[in-house]
Amino acid sequence: MTLINLEMILFKISFIFCAVSTAGYLLSLLVKKIKLAKISTWILSAAFGFLTLNLLLTVINFSGLVNLGSRNILSLCAWSASGVYLALQFKTKTRTLGAFISPFIFLFMIAAAGQDAGKTLLPANLQTWLTAVHMLLTITGEALFILASCAGAMFIIQDGLLKSKKLNKMSRLLPSLSDLDRINHICLLWGFPVLSVGVLAGMIFAEFSWQAGWLTDPKIIWTFAGWIIYGSLLHQRLAIGWRGYRMALVSCAAFILLLLSYGSVRFCFSTLHNFI
Amino acid sequence: MIVLVGLNHKTASIAVREKIFAGCQEEKDVLARLRSLNGVGEVLHLSTCNRVEIIASVEDHGKAVKDLRDFMAATGGLTEAQAADCFYEYRDEEAVRHIFRVASSLDSMVMGETQILGQVKDAYRRALAQYATGVVLNRLMHCSFRAAKRVRTETAIAVNPVSVSYAAVELAKKIFGSLNGKKILLIGAGEMAELTGMHLVSNGAEGVIVANRTLAQAELLAEKFHGEAASLDALDKKLIEVDIVISSTGAPDFIVTADMLKKIHHQRKNRLLFLVDIAMPRDIEPAASSLENVYLYNIDDLQDIVDENMNVRKKEAIRAEMIVEEEVARYVNWQKELESVPTIISLRGKTEEIVKAEMERAAGWIRSFNKEDQEKIENLVNSIVNKVLHSPVAVLKEESSEFNSRDIVAAVRRLFRLDG
Repeated sequence: MTLINLEMILFKISFIFCAVSTAGYLLSLLVKKIKLAKISTWILSAAFGFLTLNLLLTVINFSGLVNLGSRNILSLCAWSASGVYLALQFKTKTRTLGAFISPFIFLFMIAAAGQDAGKTLLPANLQTWLTAVHMLLTITGEALFILASCAGAMFIIQDGLLKSKKLNKMSRLLPSLSDLDRINHICLLWGFPVLSVGVLAGMIFAEFSWQAGWLTDPKIIWTFAGWIIYGSLLHQRLAIGWRGYRMALVSCAAFILLLLSYGSVRFCFSTLHNFI
Repeated sequence: MIVLVGLNHKTASIAVREKIFAGCQEEKDVLARLRSLNGVGEVLHLSTCNRVEIIASVEDHGKAVKDLRDFMAATGGLTEAQAADCFYEYRDEEAVRHIFRVASSLDSMVMGETQILGQVKDAYRRALAQYATGVVLNRLMHCSFRAAKRVRTETAIAVNPVSVSYAAVELAKKIFGSLNGKKILLIGAGEMAELTGMHLVSNGAEGVIVANRTLAQAELLAEKFHGEAASLDALDKKLIEVDIVISSTGAPDFIVTADMLKKIHHQRKNRLLFLVDIAMPRDIEPAASSLENVYLYNIDDLQDIVDENMNVRKKEAIRAEMIVEEEVARYVNWQKELESVPTIISLRGKTEEIVKAEMERAAGWIRSFNKEDQEKIENLVNSIVNKVLHSPVAVLKEESSEFNSRDIVAAVRRLFRLDG
């Protein structure tokens, strides 16, 4: 068996595990059984393990992170999101959060599966360690923001249930408001500096290799907008003392806004990041 | 044979229960006295504020039940007429079912409450310590604990709280997760607020402030919680510090208004605030509920949650009853098997005796063989006897687990002349 074959098998196994865990998480919300969410967390952990091996093999195969294929980039997004979520599980034990984050992880995996395996993503002039750092950190930063927004969405649901005086199965299944607020806080606190360093790495690279014109690139403007929005969210939380409902609402709104603007930039404009 | 005689909250008034309960408390050697009753073998005495029951393994149902009833009536100083109304009695399978239902909290005043299992275990421990139980009751009690454990783990009968104060604790946990380090403000020194405060503190909340119109009363209650007392004038300042507020004053107007909370919102740094208003008329303005990060529940809201939870328990009780039935069937099967055990032992004993006697009679010619052949002959004889006995023993076991084995046991005893 060649390394490329093994890499493919690992990707397929992690894809299946990811699909099963997503189904399990959603089912746990539907039938309101926390045990299902717990089992799904173990399945997602297995998917994460296989994906880690898959990515390690890819890095060995292609001698580094700098020339990963588009499928690998997308599976890196899935890997990063699931890694951040699983790491949070050690701290907060909020299994049902998986029902909100796992569909995103699975979507990344579906997108990854649709890509050509052998295709190298980056043009030769972009295959540097700086772009690798830029890619890895921005993806992790975005994953943390997705998680912050998911926690925000769950906060809004739980808040609605508690305000309407409904202590039903759904309310019992969802984590406490404080836990959700804490997840939102942790994700913003870590996500913002990680994204900042990632953006900075990209800027340094762009300044040296593209020299002029890159600042007006739509994708870069979008990234800056995201960076500023999340920065201001963190500012409001740390300096002004926003927390709870307002923070959850703004996190969700920011995420939807960024998702929409990303979609419009991706499909309506020609950018320097066309390879993504 | 098992009998159970007792009374509980459904059959006896609190006055009668008190008398019997007090009588049993005073009687130090209840178990010893019960065992001294004629025909009573093993015995266990369960006494809680809601029930007093005696479970015994006896030789004769009728006589034992009468003796046990008389004993209980005498302990509580009840007249015969009083005793006739409030005592219930169960025999064999019914008694087993009853004690399983009691241990599983299906017969409790608040169905699904967790205290009763501990009380049943304590009663069993006391009986064990005085060697009052044997094979039958030991097995019965262990099976009742297993039934109770299954009911607790396989159904949601004890999951949701069914008292207002526990409902408030559950809500607090849904808001704050852990209650560790959370500060409570009790407005008014009412009993209900005190009870809710106690539950919150026992779940980890720390730092209790008691605010009351009369400071002396506030100080009295604050002392119980090792907290601090405050007057109602300092309420807005105290509201800044706390996470949970329980209000139960008799004031005619709102004591905590939405405006008041709005003003301190910024000073509280937008922290989550849980307000429990158990006063009538209400102490907290309902408009407070619409404020961000503020969660207000009044007594009706809490009662609705309790009612809903009670309905869930009733539904779960159907599943719990099925579990109890399964466990009763298992116990009864074991008990039926037990009926055939002495016969099987006697049968084996008798055949062993026959083999021994015949081997001794044949010892003269057996000795002419060498040691190895002697052993072979002995093994052959034992093997034939075992094969002959295998079928009757197997049938005895099978039949006893299927239905009442008395007829077949009697037949075997007669056929093999086991009773001499």
